[in-house]
Amino acid sequence: MNLVGWREKLLLLLPLTVFTVIFLVIPFVTNIVYSLSDVKFETLRDINITGVGNYQKVVTDPEFWQAGWFSLRFGLLTAILECLLGLFLAIFLSPLLKKRSWLLAILMMPMMVAPSLIGLMYRLVLHEFVGPVPYYLYEWFGDSPAFLDGMNAFRTLVVIEVLQWTPFAMLLFYVAYVGIPESIREAAHIDGASWGQMFRLISVPLILPALLVGFVVRFIDGFRVFDNVFVLTRGGAGASTTSLPIYIYQRFFQQGDIGVAVAASMIFLVASFVLLFGLNVLSRKSV
Amino acid sequence: MRILLNSLRWLVFMIAAVAMNFPVIVTLVTSLKSKAELSINPSLWIKTVTLNNYQQIFDMADRFDILAILWNSLVASLIGAVIPLIICLPAAYAMARFGFGRRFLLPVIVNLRAIPLIIFAIPLYMMYQLLGLLDTRVGLGLILALVNLPLTLVLLVNAIADIPKELDEAAYIDGANSFSVLRQVIFPLGWPTIATTLIFGFITAWNEYLFGLILTTRRAVPMTVGASFFFSASGGGVQWGVAAAVMILGAFIPTLLGIVMYRRISESLTTGALKG
Repeated sequence: MNLVGWREKLLLLLPLTVFTVIFLVIPFVTNIVYSLSDVKFETLRDINITGVGNYQKVVTDPEFWQAGWFSLRFGLLTAILECLLGLFLAIFLSPLLKKRSWLLAILMMPMMVAPSLIGLMYRLVLHEFVGPVPYYLYEWFGDSPAFLDGMNAFRTLVVIEVLQWTPFAMLLFYVAYVGIPESIREAAHIDGASWGQMFRLISVPLILPALLVGFVVRFIDGFRVFDNVFVLTRGGAGASTTSLPIYIYQRFFQQGDIGVAVAASMIFLVASFVLLFGLNVLSRKSV
Repeated sequence: MRILLNSLRWLVFMIAAVAMNFPVIVTLVTSLKSKAELSINPSLWIKTVTLNNYQQIFDMADRFDILAILWNSLVASLIGAVIPLIICLPAAYAMARFGFGRRFLLPVIVNLRAIPLIIFAIPLYMMYQLLGLLDTRVGLGLILALVNLPLTLVLLVNAIADIPKELDEAAYIDGANSFSVLRQVIFPLGWPTIATTLIFGFITAWNEYLFGLILTTRRAVPMTVGASFFFSASGGGVQWGVAAAVMILGAFIPTLLGIVMYRRISESLTTGALKG
């Protein structure tokens, strides 16, 4: 279409480009510069480039690797559980949801609440004196575990994340599942396919793109988890629940170690892209 | 057999609905219990329902000003929802119609969805310090706009691609330029998507926590951060009934919007995920 000149086309892109430069490019460059310098809150403006010292500090810090391991485990485990549960619910509940779509609204509700608020709500839910979960566990079994201590903390956080975000996976899979033309399923039915065969040979392959997208999106969000973990444990239980964002937050705001925090951010960024790229390659292969 | 299977489906639905909404249910129940009942009855049944806790929030405005905090969230979230729309609509038009900016700008913005936000938090904190934007609603709103960019752009590009090209070609032949086409053709025809994008952006912005935590301290604290302050600020043990009421107020607006708009939101969530 030659009705619009290139100047006008550039003008259309201008606002977004300016915003991107201010809020993405400048911070990105600042990150690179600060990660290579010796910087304190008092000396923000005279930059003193010293090399890769900050990166060395980060990669030799066992707490950094612990945080990375937490984020990776958390991201993978929550994404897998959410996708499995979501797939089950999407297929098993689809006859109900097709007839009464408002049921979806009930299942989507947890996604509308801030993860930080959900985290705070669990402080109440799991509280040993006022929380109903310990109360009922005592009533029924005579005992209740300390949900946010030691080894339990990780499991509790995984369950909390999975309960809040399974609806996302379910929704995505449900929409893909009901999009499969009825004729395909009927044909398979006439050919005498069993339920298991229908699932394995028709449903899963046809909604595979949605399955992969769901997994990647949920993994990304789990990998960079901050809100609910932070309000529940502050990364505590012996630093066993420090995710990478919490590690960076602590280095910056609690210890004022700007260089280390920024260097850790850059490593985090690269790691995210490597993982994302890896997942993309994997999913291309399997589609 | 059919009936049995159907009841099993209902059972699974009920379990899933209760389990997923459990924290909200518990909080709602707790917020309706009296202080006396709270200390002896942690169960899910209420003997006497009271709205006392909600009233108490407003009585403590000198320490915890809930109206100011809700106002902060409202203003910042509106800025965070409207700005992406204003800057993405023309860009999305250029991308959808002329393929302009598709090769570089679009992937950059879309990939933003995958970047851990904390990476931008530190440099933006320092930038805001220089510009005097720390602890301001506008400053927070601008960052929330950044958070909303990827989904807004993807949804708008898709929506514009669905509007027949012939409509704007006709307008061009009548001598319109692309900005008037945006206003007179794209905006009205794309309105359903634009409205959903706004509402979804508002919910996302309202629920954001990290930037509120980092960039605000007192005057511009949003609801998500204010609620967690409330836990630590009340001193001498948390008043659980009041805390629960605060959380319900914080969750109320986005949940209401989400329920009313669930059909459109589920649509945009799925397009956003699949096309992005």
